[in-house]
Amino acid sequence: MAPPLKVQNLVKNYNKVQAVKNVSFELQPGEIFGLLGPNGAGKTSIISCIVTLETPNEGLIEVFGHDVTQQAKAAKYKMGFVPQELIHHGFFSAEEILEIHSGYYCIVNNRERIHYLLNELGLWEHKDKKVRQLSGGMKRRLLVAKALVHEPRLLLLDEPTAGVDIELRESLWKFVCELKKEGVSVLLTTHYLEEAEELCQRVGVLSHGRLIKLGETHDLITELTHRRVSFSLKNSLKKIHHELKTEELNNRHIFNIPYTKSIEELFNELSLGLGDVTDLKIQEGSLEDAFRYLLVEDMEENK
Amino acid sequence: MIKKRDILSFSMLYYKELRRFNKVVIQTVLTPLITSSLYLLIFGISLGKNIHLLGDIPYLAFIIPGLVMMGVLNNAYQNSSTSIISGKFSGDLQDLKITPLGDHQIIWALALGGLTRGLIVGGITFFVGQIFYYQIYDKFLLIVHPLYLVIFVIIGGLSFAVMGLCVAFWARTFDQLSAISSFILTPLIYLGGVFFTLENLHPTWQALSKFNPLLYLINGVRLGILGQSDVSLNSALVVSFGFFLFVYFIALRSLQKASFSRW
Ligand SMILES: Nc1ncnc2c1ncn2[C@@H]1O[C@H](COP(=O)(O)OP(=O)(O)OP(=O)(O)O)[C@@H](O)[C@H]1O
Ligand SMILES: [Mg+2]
Repeated sequence: MAPPLKVQNLVKNYNKVQAVKNVSFELQPGEIFGLLGPNGAGKTSIISCIVTLETPNEGLIEVFGHDVTQQAKAAKYKMGFVPQELIHHGFFSAEEILEIHSGYYCIVNNRERIHYLLNELGLWEHKDKKVRQLSGGMKRRLLVAKALVHEPRLLLLDEPTAGVDIELRESLWKFVCELKKEGVSVLLTTHYLEEAEELCQRVGVLSHGRLIKLGETHDLITELTHRRVSFSLKNSLKKIHHELKTEELNNRHIFNIPYTKSIEELFNELSLGLGDVTDLKIQEGSLEDAFRYLLVEDMEENK
Repeated sequence: MIKKRDILSFSMLYYKELRRFNKVVIQTVLTPLITSSLYLLIFGISLGKNIHLLGDIPYLAFIIPGLVMMGVLNNAYQNSSTSIISGKFSGDLQDLKITPLGDHQIIWALALGGLTRGLIVGGITFFVGQIFYYQIYDKFLLIVHPLYLVIFVIIGGLSFAVMGLCVAFWARTFDQLSAISSFILTPLIYLGGVFFTLENLHPTWQALSKFNPLLYLINGVRLGILGQSDVSLNSALVVSFGFFLFVYFIALRSLQKASFSRW
């Protein structure tokens, strides 16, 4: 079966700005994929090309095998899109918006689905309010509901949690995980890297329009970050020397060890046993650390 | 080939257009009621007494078709252009691009939306005109060729709605939008013979006016209501349909090129 999304050698220029430079990646069915990068990295530009709001200058984009420029209609039925910027909609109520939006997908009687979405996204009490009477977070939820009226198999979320409170963020992610269980593939961008680490099986990291890293979230962390191991010695007079030691503070010894080295190895090299130490702490590396590392490296390469 | 799906999504957009101006019903009904009454009062009755056209048609009867068509054209244009512009403002214009609506569906939905509003306004204007006419002449103004009237009103309303769409997609600022309207449209409408016949004009202007498509649309309606006009039926038909095809083609081009993103 064709992959839910295939982006190949995508290039997008705005006049003189090269926003996206030769980016390629694919989504697998039922996968949550995170597109990460600092402001202006090109995330929104890539998504805009996928949903046909922008035309790519070069490259190929396919949604379930349908080329988005050649077979736009077929592709559009398959995908739902939550834009980064809020939309206001002058005259209509939340429920009307969803009805109209269903109509654009040729779904006439969509009441059941619409009510389901209003409920799931906590909009039920607000369904008769005009969109401009909704708060920012509610507008965001309405955008998510809108993206889902036609039961798309590919969901594109451009910073869906910006300006959204913790509770909703959690319920939103829970909902996204449910969709994933149903086999929906999700492409999301976010600046909250803990969220991405928790949700995404794979991530791609963008910097200045180039995809500088692509891989499993877990692999990225083990490849690019270190574990931080720290302990105190029972015999506080004992001296310890090791190349991976970074600090010593009030008899607290701190090490940064790569994931290739196990803690057992470290202890062996130090000729220590668990009996010699107290208060052992192990801090795993995070996606945020990996992300930071990548960006610094990228900056140095491009100096 | 036209598929059922396409008709469905088109009807939804048309329905949305209707709902949209239904929510501003005062503007839709009251405004034309007032403006057409003013025009009829000032031009049709007060000044009209001193204006004598060739032939035996009273000036009041002469301007009623012109005012009807002016209402149709202006409102068809306004409706589709404000619909697009407000979509650019709120950001929901992009919904038209990301959903499976095709270019033809978008154009037809907005064209019919504009036409519908134009017809309401045109109808009201005609109604007000009849009241004035009855007061003065003690009889109603009869429509000589209803079929012609219908054809020209419809083709004019559709063309102007489509034109509103083109301009609104093209415009990058409000200034550009109002510039088109005040420097191009309004002059063309006024010079298109709403208030005067070609015979009243200097020969140079007469010759120039022949290139104004609005002259044919407005005189087509006059032909429908009064049975006589400055242009022949055939030339009015040819120019009107040609004009519609022309703006439709431009609209297709501009939809393919246009940006649907927010201002
Ligand atoms: N319509 C446009 N016209 C010109 N330049 C643009 C346009 N949209 C984006 N850009 C430029 O393209 C680059 C990428 O922008 P993009 O919006 O894709 O970034 P992003 O990764 O989504 O950033 P953010 O995290 O802030 O949303 C930026 O340099 C931006 O200035
Ligand atoms: Mg963005």
